[in-house]
Amino acid sequence: MILRGVHGRALRIDLATGETDVLPLTGADFAAVVGGAGLASLLLLRHCPPGADPLGPDNPLVFAASPFVGTGITTAAKIALAARSPQTGMIGDSLSSSYLALALKRTGYDALVLTGQARAWSTLVVDSGAVRLEPAADLLGLDPAATSDAVRARLGTGYRVAAIGPAGEHGVVYAAVANDGRLAGRTGTGAVMGSKRLKAVAVRGNTLPRVADPKGLAKAARALGEKSLGPQTAKYRELGTAANVAFFDRMGTLPTRNFQAGSFAGAAAISGETLLLEHRTDRHACAGCTVGCEHRYTTTDGGAATETRLEYETLFALGSLCGVADPNAVLRAAALCDRLGIDAISAGATVAWAMECGERGIDLSPWGGPAPAFGDAAALLETLEAIGHRRGLGDLLAEGTRRASETVGQGSDRWAMHVKGLELPGYDPRKLQTMALGLAVATRGACHNRSSAYEADFSDALDPNAEARARAAAAVAAEDQAALLDSLTVCKFLRHVFVDLPEETAALHRLVTGQETTGDDLRRAGAEITGVKKRFNERMGWTRALDTLPPRLLGEDDGAGPGVAAPAGGSPLTRARLETMVDAYYAARGWGADGRVEESRGRGVEENGVVR
Amino acid sequence: MDASSLPPPTIPIPVELFGVPRLLVGGAAAEADGATLGELAADLAARAPALAGPVLDPATGWPLDGYAFVVDERFTRDPATPLGPGSTVLLVSSVAGG
Repeated sequence: MILRGVHGRALRIDLATGETDVLPLTGADFAAVVGGAGLASLLLLRHCPPGADPLGPDNPLVFAASPFVGTGITTAAKIALAARSPQTGMIGDSLSSSYLALALKRTGYDALVLTGQARAWSTLVVDSGAVRLEPAADLLGLDPAATSDAVRARLGTGYRVAAIGPAGEHGVVYAAVANDGRLAGRTGTGAVMGSKRLKAVAVRGNTLPRVADPKGLAKAARALGEKSLGPQTAKYRELGTAANVAFFDRMGTLPTRNFQAGSFAGAAAISGETLLLEHRTDRHACAGCTVGCEHRYTTTDGGAATETRLEYETLFALGSLCGVADPNAVLRAAALCDRLGIDAISAGATVAWAMECGERGIDLSPWGGPAPAFGDAAALLETLEAIGHRRGLGDLLAEGTRRASETVGQGSDRWAMHVKGLELPGYDPRKLQTMALGLAVATRGACHNRSSAYEADFSDALDPNAEARARAAAAVAAEDQAALLDSLTVCKFLRHVFVDLPEETAALHRLVTGQETTGDDLRRAGAEITGVKKRFNERMGWTRALDTLPPRLLGEDDGAGPGVAAPAGGSPLTRARLETMVDAYYAARGWGADGRVEESRGRGVEENGVVR
Repeated sequence: MDASSLPPPTIPIPVELFGVPRLLVGGAAAEADGATLGELAADLAARAPALAGPVLDPATGWPLDGYAFVVDERFTRDPATPLGPGSTVLLVSSVAGG
């Protein structure tokens, strides 16, 4: 049966030579990994040699669309990026929404695989499959939005642009790739793009694949669009993810002063409710999205006016984590991160690590210090600017908390809040202990987007002292759900709109592809995608020791701050408790006791001939 | 009616509001009575009519899909959850996280 909704091919481009070749993508490939993040991960597994330098020419940078892109299914205009992360050395995968995904799919390819390194700073132009490099040295120093504007003005109509900012040019390991005002934020894909001397990638085309049942799909897509406007998404429409600040603070799960505490005296000032009343200007939606979660805010303090989008993760990382309670400063810091093209979570967390260094009397002047102080908004802004350009102390902090603490030593790794090198998002694992497991085992490091295990903690599904096996089952389910959504490229903000996500998305998948996809097929795919990512990590040197959390979160603290209590009625998180959960997680996955994928679903993917 | 036939006086429980419920009510808390969470929900819907419809079922007061109660720092979907003078009750979006 012909597979509809996809082109069935990827385009590999060698940036050193300009040569291209077409990589066939089979029905078995799409059945195994669906598309999007799964496809990007599979292509990375196939084309990244073991030991490839993340910032070297052998590390491929993959852009992948999904069968749902361009079909009219709400929120599905997303693109997945994958590369070996310069931040973690493990899989780096990241998603971004909007017009770029639509334009990429119109090129006639489902994915681009960029290898090699251009001889000079360039813009890669993919025009309906015709490829060329154009000089881009004159664009250096521009922020991503200005770069995109310049490239589009230069190339003419129809192009959509992914671009890096100064941070990507300078190899900040948590540099992002930006498009349409959105960022593929985590794991440093922007640094990989910069290492290839690509300032921008511009794509356009006019070839969308046919879908199997256009009328049926239009009806189903319309129904989903209507459902997407119900109470399950009201939070995102009315307040956005900024709504989390006040509630997390109340629950003691708002990381504060580098995880020294779980509530913040300044939370009310930077809460979503306050921002809505005092700073919000308007609300936007990504291409093809009915929800419209992007709230924009402006400064109100009479200084230089700054308008920006803002998410919970930005608010916590640049606000409570750094002890900054001035909403105008947080807005300026968020806008600065976007202009520099850096992941705001890792940026804020790395600055917070430096702040704690200063608090503990560690002299950072050998690295261009002094350390900024908790609560010093001006120092936060100056430090972010320095990071983006690798100036002074910023050169150290551009390496992220893991490497910076290894460089500085003096025990500073004790307060380097990362997993596998990726800084923690804004969920305190001491209160949210299913999330603790999800963060510890996630393939790309500490990430709330690849493991929404916090949902089990923020519910009555699990007792506060739930046994490890129950937490493992919840963590696996959350991880597989995220893998499936990221591979269908359906927004996670729709997850509660579905009563049975695999079954309902399988129905859409049948209308798009013409295949007899079942809910069980997609459930299996979610697990297989996780297996593909894990196999990649194993090739890159993963060991079980990486599936852990920072000592501070395991009760091995050294007295900094008031700490965070266990959840109501529950026991404190300890190393032994986490290890037991990790064991149970490996067992639930069917992996070996050492956590390897042997005899696993990931191996099954290989046996089916998908992993070549 | 003599005094002995009156229901015993109750002390209203403050219900802390977060997100959309807070916006609809225009304040960070509302008060409601009830010996159980179900009773409190029904009373809350009556006392805070802005919540009835978009957040609470107008007939029962129970939260619609997308909203939940947190009692003493634990999410619960059980209307029989007992409440006492020291109980803390939060009305929140059940769509936690990002």
